[in-house]
Amino acid sequence: MPSDDIVIAARNLTKTYRLFGHPGDRIKQFFSLGLRRYHREFTALQDVSLDIRKGETIGIIGHNGSGKSTLLQLICGILKPTSGSIAVRGRVSALLELGAGFNPDFTGRENAYFQGAIMGLDEAEMDGRFQAIAAFADIGDFIDQPVRTYSSGMFLRLAFAVASHVSPDIMVVDEALAVGDAAFQQRCFDRIRAMQSHGMTMVVVSHNPYQIEQLCDRAAVLNRGRMTSLQPAKDALSLYQELVHRELAPSTASVPPQREGTHALYFENVTIDGDQDPVDGAFRTTGPLRIAADVVAAQAISNVRFRFELCSSGGLVAMMSTIGLTEGMKFHGRHRISFSMPACQLTSGWYHINAIAVARNVRLDAWQRAAEFSILLKAEAALNLTGDSGIYVCQGSWNIS
Amino acid sequence: MSAANPAISIIRLFDHRYLLGQLIKRDVLLRYRGALFGVAWIFLSPLLMLAIFAFVFGHIFQSRWPEQPDGMPFWLMLYSGLIVFNLFAETVSRAPSTVRSQPSYVKKIIFPVEILPLVPLGAAMVHGAFNLLILVIALAWFDHLFTGILLFPLLVIPVLLLGLGLAWFLAAWGVFIKDMSQIVPLFVQMLLFLSPVFYPASAVPVFLQPLYALNPLGATIEAVRAAVLGTSIPWNDWATAFIVGLATTLLGLAFFNHVRDEFADAL
Repeated sequence: MPSDDIVIAARNLTKTYRLFGHPGDRIKQFFSLGLRRYHREFTALQDVSLDIRKGETIGIIGHNGSGKSTLLQLICGILKPTSGSIAVRGRVSALLELGAGFNPDFTGRENAYFQGAIMGLDEAEMDGRFQAIAAFADIGDFIDQPVRTYSSGMFLRLAFAVASHVSPDIMVVDEALAVGDAAFQQRCFDRIRAMQSHGMTMVVVSHNPYQIEQLCDRAAVLNRGRMTSLQPAKDALSLYQELVHRELAPSTASVPPQREGTHALYFENVTIDGDQDPVDGAFRTTGPLRIAADVVAAQAISNVRFRFELCSSGGLVAMMSTIGLTEGMKFHGRHRISFSMPACQLTSGWYHINAIAVARNVRLDAWQRAAEFSILLKAEAALNLTGDSGIYVCQGSWNIS
Repeated sequence: MSAANPAISIIRLFDHRYLLGQLIKRDVLLRYRGALFGVAWIFLSPLLMLAIFAFVFGHIFQSRWPEQPDGMPFWLMLYSGLIVFNLFAETVSRAPSTVRSQPSYVKKIIFPVEILPLVPLGAAMVHGAFNLLILVIALAWFDHLFTGILLFPLLVIPVLLLGLGLAWFLAAWGVFIKDMSQIVPLFVQMLLFLSPVFYPASAVPVFLQPLYALNPLGATIEAVRAAVLGTSIPWNDWATAFIVGLATTLLGLAFFNHVRDEFADAL
């Protein structure tokens, strides 16, 4: 039973689009009364449930095409769910696309009044707000020029000014703040804070983690139409970062593996093992990592030194280790060498190993990109570790005296 | 959650009357914005039209109808019928693109889409009012002004209802079928000649007259013309037209509400 202060309640929302190859197919579909299918289906949103309380600011994070806009359109009532239900209480102001509904041939003032009319405000009510709108938009005399003469910045400022001054109970913002310069974004933030303090509920979609963290009380990650539960914004952001890295592709295509040397002794293979996730195949930041190789020498050879380099996909050498214990050893036939780390402490991303064998300054085998693998910093672990950016992740703490 | 019951959705339309008024105002103003004569065109274009009528039907095609009183210019009778027809024509011709041309109203903002087809109707009524004003002045000039013309706004209601119902229907179809905005003006043109605008209904062959009685446009035009001429108004035919018009409105709105959920997907 939803309590009184819940203003948006969604239950098992699913939205399936019907994709028609040809405009005529839609008509055929209509007349076939469901006996035949002339379309493909695409599920943009699947089984999404959420409760948003009055006065909360909720963030939705996700990739392009993850269903964010569909969810917002459902909240606004612009789309009807294919199944499930959504109940929204209060007047919604939607900033799904900046200046949608503005007519370029009318002046800023006329458009502002018209947007007010769409929101159900008559002329007298808009008269009372117009000063504030014009002041916020800060476009001077342009307010009485047709909006097609506006720069995109002016357009944005007016659109946000209007949307935020029509006293909505709920405001829905889709990426709108991503445009605009820093100063304007700051003013938008201030305005949003002021509205938040008046009890306005807000739903923000963004892939800018900073904005989500700044504005939102709770957030959820949307991925391929499925949504996590609402959780504190910082947790959701960690989860999103994890998702981003999970879907990063290795960059091998651009630089093929290179190999050179006399091959009097050579690496037969180089492998990585450790705490590998069976699902995504990634190793964990906090888990152990072992680089192992089989080396083969056709004839006996001594004074061999081995080196492993662990490099990030950006080419940064994260770790380089050379074995110093092999001075007196003779290699003949097959040997196995390995290097172990208790925890790699590296941030999420793709890495590769360069394996090098030298004997008395003669390069026996230098194998670039001998092995490639990914590391994933799990969201739960990220909360306890520092590493906003940079490659090294550790447990550290700040101290100020 | 959209109201399936047309009666309820008609009541809801009333909630949006201010917004609708603004939309109609914008529509009318936008047509003349930037023009040299500006809004004066709203008056000039029917005046020019009437002048051409006077020239063509007053001097070139000189003709008389049986029910035409002495001294009443023939072209004024044509003109009064044409005012009614134009109300219908403007509403219906523009209907298929009313929703289609505003995808951002459908997909990007929270907007009562069902009022969009009402905008051309409202604009047509504004233009019709100016046409009527010119007609009244012309009738007064020729000393044929009867009190019956006061009934004009009441008498055109069947055509307004018919136009509105078709507008909802066509606006919905227009979203899915782009060709509608090409097809509809052709049909409107056809209707211009199939309705007794340029001839009296009495000139229609007797065996076709029952069919003509079903055309609400014809009955309305005849009724309006009777009012202009000061003769007795054929109320029976008018009542039939009214019922047909009302049914069209309710069916049109019901159809519109039935398919509107798919608009956002189709645009």
